[in-house]
Amino acid sequence: MKPSRMDKLDFVSAIVLLVFGIGVLVESLRMPRLEDLDINPYTVPGLVPGLLGVAIAACGLAMLIRSIVRGGWRLGLTGQAAGGWLASAALRRSLVTLVLTLVYAGVLFPLVPFVIATPIFVFVFTVTAEWMALGRRPPALSLVIALVIAVVAGVVIGYVFQNLFFVRLPGG
Amino acid sequence: MDGLLSFLSALGGIVTSIAIVDVIWATLLGIIVGMMPGLTATLGVALMTTLTFNMESDRAILILICMYIGAIYGGSRSAILLNIPGTPANAATSLDGFPLARAGKAGSAMAIATTGSVIGSIIGMIALAVVAPMLAEFALSFGAFEFFWLAVFGVLVAGQLTALDDPIKGWIAGFLGLFVAMIGQEGIHAIPRFSYGSTDIAGGIGLLPAMVGAFGFAEILTVMRHEAYQVVRSKVDSVFGGIRDAVKYKVTAARSGLIGTFMGLVPGVGEDMGAWASYAAARQSSKRKDEFGKGSVEGLLAAETGNNAAVPGALIPVLTLAVPGSAPAAVLLAAMVIHGIRPGPLIMIEFPDFVFSVVAMVFAATIAMGVLGLLLTRPLLLVLQVSRERLMPIIFVLCTVGAFAIASRMFDVWIMIVFGVLGFILRELKYPMAPLILGIVLGDILDKSLRRGLVLSDGDLTPFFTRPISLVLWLSALLFIVLTMPSIRRGIMRLMRRRRGTGGGP
Repeated sequence: MKPSRMDKLDFVSAIVLLVFGIGVLVESLRMPRLEDLDINPYTVPGLVPGLLGVAIAACGLAMLIRSIVRGGWRLGLTGQAAGGWLASAALRRSLVTLVLTLVYAGVLFPLVPFVIATPIFVFVFTVTAEWMALGRRPPALSLVIALVIAVVAGVVIGYVFQNLFFVRLPGG
Repeated sequence: MDGLLSFLSALGGIVTSIAIVDVIWATLLGIIVGMMPGLTATLGVALMTTLTFNMESDRAILILICMYIGAIYGGSRSAILLNIPGTPANAATSLDGFPLARAGKAGSAMAIATTGSVIGSIIGMIALAVVAPMLAEFALSFGAFEFFWLAVFGVLVAGQLTALDDPIKGWIAGFLGLFVAMIGQEGIHAIPRFSYGSTDIAGGIGLLPAMVGAFGFAEILTVMRHEAYQVVRSKVDSVFGGIRDAVKYKVTAARSGLIGTFMGLVPGVGEDMGAWASYAAARQSSKRKDEFGKGSVEGLLAAETGNNAAVPGALIPVLTLAVPGSAPAAVLLAAMVIHGIRPGPLIMIEFPDFVFSVVAMVFAATIAMGVLGLLLTRPLLLVLQVSRERLMPIIFVLCTVGAFAIASRMFDVWIMIVFGVLGFILRELKYPMAPLILGIVLGDILDKSLRRGLVLSDGDLTPFFTRPISLVLWLSALLFIVLTMPSIRRGIMRLMRRRRGTGGGP
């Protein structure tokens, strides 16, 4: 039987879960037992996390066995398959989205004043996404609309949070 | 009688004050959020919680309930017109709603969905008013043992029902959620767990930034990953024929309302299962089974009645047990705690009027939903013209500012990002999100109840299994899980078919 794409993905995620579950168990065993505080031994902090580690590892193991039975271990990682995946439009859209959002949340938002950072992000995101969807440069009207939306969004959201909800935004 | 008086006085308070304006705008905003593919009810309620942070509690909760009810209903519009469920709860709606719209009956389909949603919401609301006080009183006899099982039961059942084909993934999601709740200082000795010296992590992972990430940012990544949907302009016929059609199937509506309410009540299961279970039951008992999936009025009515009935249904365990019935209800629970209301078995003693003011809020939101939904059928079509490329960056800005605004710290923004990326990956690998969130909410209860229970029984596990309510809880969880296992379900079906086969023979 030829393994499905999900069987292969399950094989990988099962290994991650198994390792994670064991890691949680080990960390729980290393947690303080508070013997010197003379606490009731049934209230040790590591009890429930340890049980959860066991549960996660057990589920991971069950999934691992299942995916091996279904042939999911034959990942078929050929250069051609990897190349096809890397060239897919879906991956490109995901990565571009991820990069743009991380730059906004991690750099622009904390460091640059909100009314400047937000319009820049909204405009760049909109234009890039439209560009990818169309496969060419969006028409001038789209760019103007994107700019107007970006500026209005920055000003309105900034005003609402700063002046109505009294939130001090980090970029000022 | 006291309850009825509390309800009427709360309703009077809403109708005769400025609150009515809140009801209208919040419900309308909810409908718009629900209509837009990619914006779910959970995200709407989570973002709105950050926006209503500084308001007084009654006003904030009213706005959140209107947003919740409006969004679950609004999702039917995009399901009918675009064949894309606006929220996951409307997936069953698109099965019959879209074929109806294609046959030129979009107006009727929207009216059927509206009528069904109103009926479902009212049935759920009555159940909320009747069941919540009784359940609260019953829950007063819950001790550590019972709360432990309740948490286990909630996570396992939610995991099972949200991943019916592959329950193990649902359970894993639930366990991961419980694990997230373990991060930070634990509740008995205040020992920090998994925090590795960070004071921010020692404070624990906030539910709101995690939800904004898992349901907002993850959704943005998912939506942008897929091809853009085509925005369609459909002709809309009169809405009045639809209302007539809906009234014709009153038995289906009543049954779906009850099933939806029950699905809402079960921890973590929520609106999607409310719709699917009602839809399946309607098909089972329909005289025109062959029409299902091809534009059946009954099917559409069942799905929309079922999902909206689950909303008040999901509020029942929120108020009385502090256990959410669905993902948006989990946010609502967090919002109540933020606003100083302590849901749980003591609610009828500590906040006697609160349950009935929630009932009044549900009623006001339901009426607003019905009126706005029917009156604004055509103007609301404009919402579907908004392209995702223009909408998603603004939603992300709101996710970022919203996560930050909760406690004015960047740590929560990072939590939002981490949960967004994790949520996106888990979703692509077909792990459901609802049990994860339920796990985060119930982790603390499970942890404290197990350890307190063990102290009370001095390490003896017997009371966990023999106390009457505990016994019922763990037995029903076990029975439910065994019966719904895919392999066992198939076995039972085979057995039933065989029996029917031999019974029907000469």
